[in-house]
Amino acid sequence: MPTTRPTGPVPPAEPPLSGAPLLSVEELHLSIAGRDRAGAERTVHALDGVSLRLAPGEALGLVGESGSGKTMTALSVLGLLPPGARVTSGRVLLEGTDLAAASDQVLRRIRGEAVGVVFQDPLSSLNPTMTIGAQVAEPLLLHRDVSRAEARERAVETLRLVGLGQPGERMKNYPHQLSGGMRQRVAIAMALVCEPKLLIADEPTTALDVTTQHQILELIGELRERLGMALILVSHDLGVIARRVDRVAVMYAGKVAEQAPVARLFTSPRHRYTQALFDALPERAAGTGRPLATIPGLPPSLTRRPAGCRFAPRCAHATDVCRTEEPAPRPADDAGLHTYACFHPADPAARAAAAGAAGVVRPAEDAAACPGADADVLLGLDGVRKEYALHSGPFTRRRDRRRVSAVAGVSLTVRRGETFGIVGESGCGKSTLGRLAVGMEKPTGGSVRFEGDDLATLDRAGLRAHRRRVQLMFQDSYAAMDPRMRVGAILREPLVVQGVGDRSAQEERVRELLDEVGLERGAVHRYPHEFSGGQRQRLGLARALALAPSLVVADEPVSALDVSVQAQILNLMRDLQREKGLSYLFISHDLAVVRYLADRVGVMYLGSLVETGPAAEVFARPLHPYTRGLLETADSAVVGGAPEAEPAKGAGPLAGETPSAADPPSGCRFRTRCPLATDLCATTPPEPTAPAGEGHLVSCHFPLLPVAGRAG
Amino acid sequence: MTRFLLKRTGQALVVLFLVSLIVFVLLHQLPGGPARAILGPKATPEAIAHFNHLQGYDRSLPVQYGMYLKRLVTGDLGESYKLNQPVLALLTERLPKTLLLTGLSVVLAALLAIPLGVLQAVRRGRLSDYVLTGAAFVAYATPVFFLGLVLILGFAQQWPLFPAEAPQAESVGGVLAEPAGLVLPVVTMALGIIAMFSRYMRSSVLDNLGEDYVRTARSKGQSQVRVMARHVLRNALIPLAGLLGLYLPTLFSGTLVVESMFNYPGMGLLFWNAAQSNDFPVLLGVTLVVGVATVLGSLLTDIAYAVLDPRIRSVS
Repeated sequence: MPTTRPTGPVPPAEPPLSGAPLLSVEELHLSIAGRDRAGAERTVHALDGVSLRLAPGEALGLVGESGSGKTMTALSVLGLLPPGARVTSGRVLLEGTDLAAASDQVLRRIRGEAVGVVFQDPLSSLNPTMTIGAQVAEPLLLHRDVSRAEARERAVETLRLVGLGQPGERMKNYPHQLSGGMRQRVAIAMALVCEPKLLIADEPTTALDVTTQHQILELIGELRERLGMALILVSHDLGVIARRVDRVAVMYAGKVAEQAPVARLFTSPRHRYTQALFDALPERAAGTGRPLATIPGLPPSLTRRPAGCRFAPRCAHATDVCRTEEPAPRPADDAGLHTYACFHPADPAARAAAAGAAGVVRPAEDAAACPGADADVLLGLDGVRKEYALHSGPFTRRRDRRRVSAVAGVSLTVRRGETFGIVGESGCGKSTLGRLAVGMEKPTGGSVRFEGDDLATLDRAGLRAHRRRVQLMFQDSYAAMDPRMRVGAILREPLVVQGVGDRSAQEERVRELLDEVGLERGAVHRYPHEFSGGQRQRLGLARALALAPSLVVADEPVSALDVSVQAQILNLMRDLQREKGLSYLFISHDLAVVRYLADRVGVMYLGSLVETGPAAEVFARPLHPYTRGLLETADSAVVGGAPEAEPAKGAGPLAGETPSAADPPSGCRFRTRCPLATDLCATTPPEPTAPAGEGHLVSCHFPLLPVAGRAG
Repeated sequence: MTRFLLKRTGQALVVLFLVSLIVFVLLHQLPGGPARAILGPKATPEAIAHFNHLQGYDRSLPVQYGMYLKRLVTGDLGESYKLNQPVLALLTERLPKTLLLTGLSVVLAALLAIPLGVLQAVRRGRLSDYVLTGAAFVAYATPVFFLGLVLILGFAQQWPLFPAEAPQAESVGGVLAEPAGLVLPVVTMALGIIAMFSRYMRSSVLDNLGEDYVRTARSKGQSQVRVMARHVLRNALIPLAGLLGLYLPTLFSGTLVVESMFNYPGMGLLFWNAAQSNDFPVLLGVTLVVGVATVLGSLLTDIAYAVLDPRIRSVS
């Protein structure tokens, strides 16, 4: 099927698929009418000639950063576009019917019947005031000629199919009564109840924890095989895409940059953007001590159609032709399965050599970068506990006064100049631990010491002085800044509060800070909303550094950022640490990021620190079954597609869900999900031991020791 | 659900106790005490002392409060000085009529405001939205007494469709026997409520239409009408239920104006007349009733919330 493109020297870009495609998107152009901040009308050209094909039963991954148009492409299949969005040209053919031009009635017949959708946030995607049973049965009542009883029966069956325990009873539940993972299972059941030919999953696991994410992705893969349906998996996360789809389309600024079978894309990407994206992954530089490769700048604003290649302004290989002429997709192989739109593609041979060289760097060689064990201790937590009342109020009865044990006896030390990474899933208490370390929360038990001072003994003045030494950096710096204050005032505020210097000295310091974090000095006159996500994170870092603290507690500082911007911030944090001898307590759910940045790590589970040690050690030879499970579960996008290590005894992807912190299991808190648990684990909480050598502590009765030959 | 109701009712009782305390304090804050207020400025100190002794006003305050509570529980709210009737009897005669007036107004308002709000939300930014928005602002900004006058001038005098005076019957049944007389008072009260509720409904529906679950419902293949009826409506009504409970006390003060304007023998008119003749037991009795109504209003709101929103049911 030849399609004409404006400057296409190589016309047949589409891979020749055997048989008729299920879905074929042809030259789709989509624009969104809206207003800019000043209220002037503007049009965003969100999609600019996107072409994709999907065979029956095939799985296609759509990857890209925010604003690349991946979600728009997926939603345009069902006409579920946001207000103001309009397909301006192109076709979306589902088994021959053009959905882009179809009436609402035709679309309604297809939605939920031939095509099911699973959205990102499973809580907001479900109606809070309707039982899940009614919501799952709904598509059946719409599309199938069934009675209510039959629909109910089918709904129960589908809920069982997606792995929801006791589906009959669950039917009467409301969404808020389910955990995040269960809600997403319900959402999948809703999408599948009519057995569609195509499932569109739009970032289906982005709002979920690592272990839940794994379970949901496995489930989608399993159901796809069982029902023989095609899948479009939209994600910003290369790791999620890596092992779940047959083909991947990489999108950038409203265009498909590269398309290839998944293994081929990961081993030999041709488009310079794809290559840069892979290089910016923290997985790639873990343990090497090298800065991450970054992509400078930001994706283009799509209010005007850029001339030339859209990636050219950020591309290290761009030449004049890239800036003036638009590259057409060209095949990378004879079969035409791999296409890319780049004038100066990466050379796969050179790349393979480089990847091999990088692989040689052993994690252990990083030891030099790690401060010695006798380096002086900056922050010391000793048996710290924090409990919150579950219900409180003057009329609360005594038996209602249950307590949530957020942090249960955590001991750790952060040394001067080092980065201590805390990893764990949501609700494990890592953020509470961060606030305890800063002194914003008082521990219920145990002590927090900073440079030898117990924070509990400090008076008001002492605490005030202490705040200079420890600062916080947040995940959402925008929400953490007063939207009505200019950047100058925001950065100056800590200095004013602490009475550091006079006005001119403070303003000078603000200019210094902006230089340090790589923002122009003129930023002082602007408001937070005028900055991009990455720039806001730079501002957050600048504010944390205003008082020249010795420790910065960074709570998920890069979680909201796209990969290319994330790399910029991680590099900046690393540079500033070297320059100023800063220490970081770096809290994150993202194993790859922590592995890249941290010298030492602590793994938290349900309020307890289950394992601590040098980052390279912990990641290479985890001792705790939970750590091991986390590592096995995490979907890493290591280029080269190396198969996962063979599953060891007592490990494997984590099953089940984290119990409630209001009612933690007795003994070892992990025992309910641990394959190795015995009666001992239920009665005795394990004490930290160092069975694999000093500095690598694990709280487990049955640590995963390597076989004798490798122990040392 | 039962536990939730018991808990909320218990809390309401505590608040009612506080209401009685406030009313009691008010009684003792009358200038010169109740004796001076009743016997007049020319009364001799002896007469005042005698009155106070008779009424028990010379005992200590806690004892008096105890007596007051005891009388309250037995339904003794004192006697009207002017009408020479027990306050309780007056209230039991008048309250149902006021409830009828406000009830009819609220029902009429809800029946009109909810569809109007939905319509405006669906047609957001179109002509009908602007026209209805303008009308709502005019109705909301017009004082009740002015609105009542306009309606009387228009529909009782210019075009005598309805009587300008409300039914004067003693009982609720009697009032209902003359529905024409109820039209103008009910419409006068309802217009302001319609204006406010339709605005809230409009923004509530708009908020909900932007929610992800609406997109999910559409992704199942539901039509806009069904999405609205099955998914959005219930969620959009939740904030409105809260508004109604908060609005109840305001409604009662609205009856004061409307009842005196249409000479409707309800509690508002009773209060109005009592205020003009310093009939304190009546005023305090009505105050107590309004206090109780306010507490009940918020109790009803909580129940409505719990019925509409399963999330509230399970935390409570």
